[in-house]
Amino acid sequence: MTDLSADTAPRRSARRPRPLTPARRFLRILRPYLYLAPAIACFVIWIYEPLAQAFILSFQQWNLLPTSPKTWVGLDNYRNIFDLPKFWQALGNTWYYLLGLLPLAVGLPLVIALFTQDLPARSRNLYRALIFVPMIVPPVVAAAVWRWLLDPNHGILNLGLQGLGTDPVEFLSDPSIALWMITFITGWKLIGFATLILAAANAAIDESLIEAARLDGATKWEIIRDIRLPLLSPTLMLLVLMVVLLGAQWSFSYIHVLTEGGPLGSTTNIYYLLWQFGFGSLSVGWSSASAVILFVGFGLLAAALFALKAKVTFYDD
Amino acid sequence: MKTSLIALAVATSATMASAQTIPDTVTEPVTITFYNYNLSSAGNGADATRKMIAEFEAANPNVTVKGVPVPPQDIATRLQADMVAGQPIDLVQMPFAALGFAAENLGAVALEDIVPAAELAGHFEGMVPNGLELGKLDGRTYGLAYTFSTPVLFYNADIFREVGLAPETPPATWEALKAAGEQIKAKTDYLPLATGIYGPTALDWLMQGVINSNGGAVINADRTKMTFAEPEAIEAVEMLRSLAQEGITRNLSITAQMEGMAAGNTAMYLQTSAIQGFLVNGAEDNFELRAAAMPAFGDKPVKPSNSGSALSLHSTDPAKQRAAWELMKFLTSKRGYTIITSEIGYLPLRPEIVEDPEYLGEWVKDHPLLQPNLAQLKNLAPYVPLPGPNYLQIGISMMDAMEMATFGEDDDVKAILTEAQERTQRLMP
Amino acid sequence: MMTDAATLAPPRPRRAPALKGRDTAVGHTLMILVSLLCVFPIYWMIVTSLRPSNAIFSTNLWPDAASLDNYAYALQAVPMTRMLVNTFLVSLAVTLVQLLTGILAGYAFARWRFRGSAILFGAIALTWLVPLQVVMIPNYLLIARLGMIDTLGALILPHIASAFAIMLLAQSMRSFPTEVVEAARMDGATHWEILWHVIVPNLRGTIASLAILIFITTWNEYFWPLLLTRSAENSVVQIGLQMFISSEGTQWGPLMAASTMASLPILLIYLLLQRQVIASFMKSGLR
Repeated sequence: MTDLSADTAPRRSARRPRPLTPARRFLRILRPYLYLAPAIACFVIWIYEPLAQAFILSFQQWNLLPTSPKTWVGLDNYRNIFDLPKFWQALGNTWYYLLGLLPLAVGLPLVIALFTQDLPARSRNLYRALIFVPMIVPPVVAAAVWRWLLDPNHGILNLGLQGLGTDPVEFLSDPSIALWMITFITGWKLIGFATLILAAANAAIDESLIEAARLDGATKWEIIRDIRLPLLSPTLMLLVLMVVLLGAQWSFSYIHVLTEGGPLGSTTNIYYLLWQFGFGSLSVGWSSASAVILFVGFGLLAAALFALKAKVTFYDD
Repeated sequence: MKTSLIALAVATSATMASAQTIPDTVTEPVTITFYNYNLSSAGNGADATRKMIAEFEAANPNVTVKGVPVPPQDIATRLQADMVAGQPIDLVQMPFAALGFAAENLGAVALEDIVPAAELAGHFEGMVPNGLELGKLDGRTYGLAYTFSTPVLFYNADIFREVGLAPETPPATWEALKAAGEQIKAKTDYLPLATGIYGPTALDWLMQGVINSNGGAVINADRTKMTFAEPEAIEAVEMLRSLAQEGITRNLSITAQMEGMAAGNTAMYLQTSAIQGFLVNGAEDNFELRAAAMPAFGDKPVKPSNSGSALSLHSTDPAKQRAAWELMKFLTSKRGYTIITSEIGYLPLRPEIVEDPEYLGEWVKDHPLLQPNLAQLKNLAPYVPLPGPNYLQIGISMMDAMEMATFGEDDDVKAILTEAQERTQRLMP
Repeated sequence: MMTDAATLAPPRPRRAPALKGRDTAVGHTLMILVSLLCVFPIYWMIVTSLRPSNAIFSTNLWPDAASLDNYAYALQAVPMTRMLVNTFLVSLAVTLVQLLTGILAGYAFARWRFRGSAILFGAIALTWLVPLQVVMIPNYLLIARLGMIDTLGALILPHIASAFAIMLLAQSMRSFPTEVVEAARMDGATHWEILWHVIVPNLRGTIASLAILIFITTWNEYFWPLLLTRSAENSVVQIGLQMFISSEGTQWGPLMAASTMASLPILLIYLLLQRQVIASFMKSGLR
């Protein structure tokens, strides 16, 4: 095990380790922080500082202008938000969105990544490129095209259904279906993204492990079950995490263009609702309170999921 | 309420100080910014705006106008951010819904404070009095109606004929509309009626017109109490509910309704006349598009509301105030409205130009769709902007409740609206 | 075990044994269906871009009177080429810089144990949860103070680091076989050299896919550029696209045309980089 890739640094003969002066020791302790410094600086300046401001502003009523007074209103902003009749509906819908996205955004891509891994190069690349195509289109345009395809009067899908003899389906204006349609469209857009990540992770699995198992007589399914899946588990958990934490945000463009949260609030989710009431608002108190609610709510969820991830994932060390 | 009164007082005293110091003309070169939403979409609106700016700059060589394109739903937030960031703001194309907030919070200047009374009166002469009211709050002019339109009932003459209705006599009342809708529903697959009443970008502008036409209002005259659960309003919503229950109108998104009409799949469409251009494009070689006035409730007078924008002035420097005022005057002059109407498709606030061959006289003959819109101008009831810092949330909550009352399962419109009224009242300043 | 495999395995990787017939048929059917599902709406977008304005909503699968009018209109109504160039520059810059900060930070988390690493990692992960609208105005004010409104730099600056990139890279580096790293250490390589000469070349797949995703995310960004740019010449392609949308009726034909033009660069980037994503363990040493 000596032949590293051709890019290795020129071999040095073993030599005396350099003396550890206090300066060098200090540098060594500092090193990880130095590597982290650019990222941390970016986050502190552009994210955490405004977030802290938002936290304080969420207890006030202000119109952002320095000449105007800031009035302390305590928990009023929060109370107003929780008072919204659509709040709990939005929360419930969010749950459905996240559950509905997982099969399309994680399950299907996993199947695709595994299946295409072993195909001959041409068909593998072709399939992967075709799956990727939804990602190149801007979300607004994708939403508009889907609206036409799903239109009850002149949409191709309904025309096809009518050809088969059934009634047209109100994909986007039926309160019981609309949410699933938006989930579907959001997931549709993400298939390529997740497939890409999983394919990369799958390719990074050490081939020798696979070879050894194959030589031991393992079937393809056993290899998948015992080697690939466990080694893909960190990536899979990361994807699940992403879907759960960002699914509500990802569906935003589609909700905005297609249903505007309707009909009757059946497609609104917590992010859209807070965007409507909070972020578009000129009353900084509302938007800040919305931000804090989103952050704290999803933060708790994230903490729980991270703990789960640490238990479930498996690293090839 | 107290906070906004204080703010208003502060703003007033600030501008009072400059009331007598605005120069008569622009003597030094000056640059002013014009926050404009027509510039943010490609097409007629942007082209016409650029044309008007160019004409103005040619006539006023000392003034340079920098257009700042901002989408309409973002204008108020952008203004807010730019004020804090210290960017210069001079003239703004302010959507009516945000005019109240702009006056109280964003430094909109009352024209009476900076322009000599005689000059102001001279410019106002010839404008529709109803139109002037659109920009007034508490008796002072914070905005001059610029691009505005009223709700119009577009209808598909071909579908009418197919069903046996006469396109020459479109429904003039909601009752007649309902009857027509029932016929269309029974005999065809077309959607009988689409409206622009509901939708987040609409807020309550069209609903105000509907309720006003029934003798009610969503908010009282001095903007202190929400009144959308009063009997007249409830009656109006119940009428909409009956249309929905019969399937005459459906809860589709604004764009879906607009496209349905443009594609020829909808019989009647009640929406702002500003979308006329879009519908005309879709109707070409497709179907015959016609327009009628907004329907009335029985024999009560129709009170259409207005959508669109007013020009508001935000400069603090007197020289810039003069420059911005000059631009404002040009944009709302006969020449300005000629371009606005003929090239963008909004209403002329100076009706006299419609007969004048030098301005719109000839154009109007070729564009009959404008007539019902023009006729409605005299019955205009100004849109009343909701007050206070929570105006947006009040509006959304109110419209959510109305949407629920119209399209939801629960028949008890009165209960739904009353509960919402109490809740939104708590958000009032 | 690694050594045994190394001595037993032939020098070049063998292709996987052919799949069973039935599995292949099912698999291919599924793939064809999914591919169709993915491609059809895009096809529809292109077809619509070739239709005249009164046939936009037609349901024919093929445009009857195909014309490039919409493209011509889109190009002159909006400074499309300039916007494409701007968007490309910004996306490229953000991709490179996010990869850089991500690789550095990922290495720190994967390689070292240091005080506060868990907290820092958590803090970074949490930034994921902060929606743009929350930080938009304060960031705007900061940019204004720096005098950078209406510049491309302002579109790049807040995006120097990405939590997703850091987490993905940290994870991939953690999965990297430690024996290789240890061997390099024993040969006297410094951390910097290990990172750039050992780890990064072998993480090509992950880095390439990350590059594609960062590029696309930046390409499709809308709200932040909308706030910052005041002139069409300095803005990005998403702003250009939105200019065809208005509450008074969207110009669908030109929008689809502009959107097609805006999608092609991304497709190109994908096709260029996707080759890196495939298993490239040609180096015998890692067997």
